[in-house]
Amino acid sequence: MLVFVQLVVSGVLLGGVYALAALGLNLIFGVAKVVNFAHGEFLMLGMYAGFWLMTTTGINPYFGAPLIAIVFFGVGLLFYAGLMRFTIYKPELTQVFATLGLGILLQNAALMAWSADYRTLQVMPAGWDSINVLGAFIPTNRLIAFAYSVAILAAVIVFLRTTFIGRAIEAVSQDLMSARLMGIDPNRVFLITFGLGIALTGVAGAVLVPSFYAFPSVGSFFVLASFVVVVLGGLGSVVGTIAGGLVLGLVETTVGYFAPDLKEATHFVLLIGLLTVRPHGLLGIKGAEKETLK
Amino acid sequence: MSFSRYLVTSPRDLAGAAILLFVALVLPFCGLDDYYANVLVLILIYAGLASSWNLIGGVAGQFSLGHSAFFGIGAYTSTLLYNYAGISPWLGMLAGGVISTILAVAISYSVFRMRGVFFAMATLAVGETIRILLIYSRKFFDLPYSISINFTPGLSNMIFEERTTYALLAGGYLLACVAVTFVLVRSYAGFYLKAIRDNEDAADASGVPIRRYKLIAFLLSAFLTSIGGTLMAQYILYIEPGTVFSVELSVDLPLMAILGGIGTVVGPFIGAAILIPLREILVEQLGGTLSGAHLVIYGFLLIVIVIVLPHGLMGGLSSLREWVGRKRTSGGPARETAP
Repeated sequence: MLVFVQLVVSGVLLGGVYALAALGLNLIFGVAKVVNFAHGEFLMLGMYAGFWLMTTTGINPYFGAPLIAIVFFGVGLLFYAGLMRFTIYKPELTQVFATLGLGILLQNAALMAWSADYRTLQVMPAGWDSINVLGAFIPTNRLIAFAYSVAILAAVIVFLRTTFIGRAIEAVSQDLMSARLMGIDPNRVFLITFGLGIALTGVAGAVLVPSFYAFPSVGSFFVLASFVVVVLGGLGSVVGTIAGGLVLGLVETTVGYFAPDLKEATHFVLLIGLLTVRPHGLLGIKGAEKETLK
Repeated sequence: MSFSRYLVTSPRDLAGAAILLFVALVLPFCGLDDYYANVLVLILIYAGLASSWNLIGGVAGQFSLGHSAFFGIGAYTSTLLYNYAGISPWLGMLAGGVISTILAVAISYSVFRMRGVFFAMATLAVGETIRILLIYSRKFFDLPYSISINFTPGLSNMIFEERTTYALLAGGYLLACVAVTFVLVRSYAGFYLKAIRDNEDAADASGVPIRRYKLIAFLLSAFLTSIGGTLMAQYILYIEPGTVFSVELSVDLPLMAILGGIGTVVGPFIGAAILIPLREILVEQLGGTLSGAHLVIYGFLLIVIVIVLPHGLMGGLSSLREWVGRKRTSGGPARETAP
């Protein structure tokens, strides 16, 4: 029984982490219909940003997250203006390999700049590493990351539903042509969406660095997990991202308890299985997987 | 009548065939020193692999990112059979090909439901799953992480002292892959595949049996990729899960095909002939001093190539020719014609 409680608690916490990591990917996919294969590398940059913020200025990444969000918003604008702008109406092949290329570039630039060392942060004061609730062991860092995840997801939903820009983003995501006819400039919406998506990814990386090691190739682990979350939850669905994250977290934790070495394989088996049975995800709109901008 | 399709050749086809035959059959005997002979062997094997990828990725338009699975199965099957059962790699090569084909059939039921980027994601997941399962299986089998093949030259061992012999073997492999591509592109199956690539819904509506023809391309591609895996293992004489099942390999093959001209017959060879020497030079110049520097340049090139030359050098060549032709007929600078 205790094992069961522990698995559920760990799974839910991990699920929150995955949902947060995948949110930026899903937002960009939902609006611009681009699968960003460099997503994991932006997350990796976010982790390093959190790491260096704390080591150079002493600001805890949990408090420095807004600063990182601003910086990464700029990075996202640059990402769109400097690269994705040229691929957005091109065939998928171009988008896949342009983002793959960027991923290889960023990963190895990080390797050159910061070496392959594993880095992590000790942010919690001694004795506060974990708390014990009804016998279940909860790492504090995961709990804070989970809280961040819930808060950010809620904020994004409110932003998309209530603000003018948010509704423009939603409109472009639902129907590019109609949005254009309503006077929305899709290129500006894409610019802002990339900024927002990368800002979310940067924050996700920063709040994950106290509980996960940062190293140049960490992105390839998270990018596949993020694909699974996005496909599980439904393409372009923010609420679905939460569901997808939770399912992946629970399945991975359960499998990890019985066969730790197969933990990573669960991602792929889930991905293939789900794409086969329900390509539009658990909560996604049917047909979304066939949509492209053209 | 039915054969004439495969015989009608343009000067361009003949030039391509001449270049391929020269590189595969004559160049190995030109007394290249060890360094260049090594580069030649690598070019020939990678060109064959990229051509194999091109069957499903280029001709059929399904961007697989999981070809490391077939490559790795080819490398592992022949090596394990040779090292542990003494079976000649020539047979192991075929065994690997059959296993890869079976895997391709098995996954085709799910991956062919997806299009475009989702096909890419799913095949990427297949390649990674095979690698993880292989590493996991070491719990049950007494299998070292990396496996070396003892250097005992001999025709039946598929291990040779001279690089020339390897170059000829790899050249034969490349020619076989190119021949398969040529025949496929010229056959009805090839026309159906082009229809599927250009508009799957329209092809479906016109009565093209989509799954059957995609499967044909996928099986050929998987089988030939697996053969290339065996050849590479016999050449390097060393395999490990991290290299033969690597995502890098799955990205390299499409990159070569794209650079040369995706979906064309000789495009993948041209791509390999440019990228392999480039990679060797970059590793040599930068690899030792700054780890990662050569891959930064490599990633940058990948971005530039897909944006500037989405149809590769072959596509660039034909648009250049079109441009020159238009210039000549109009007697002035090329103009946009009004719709």
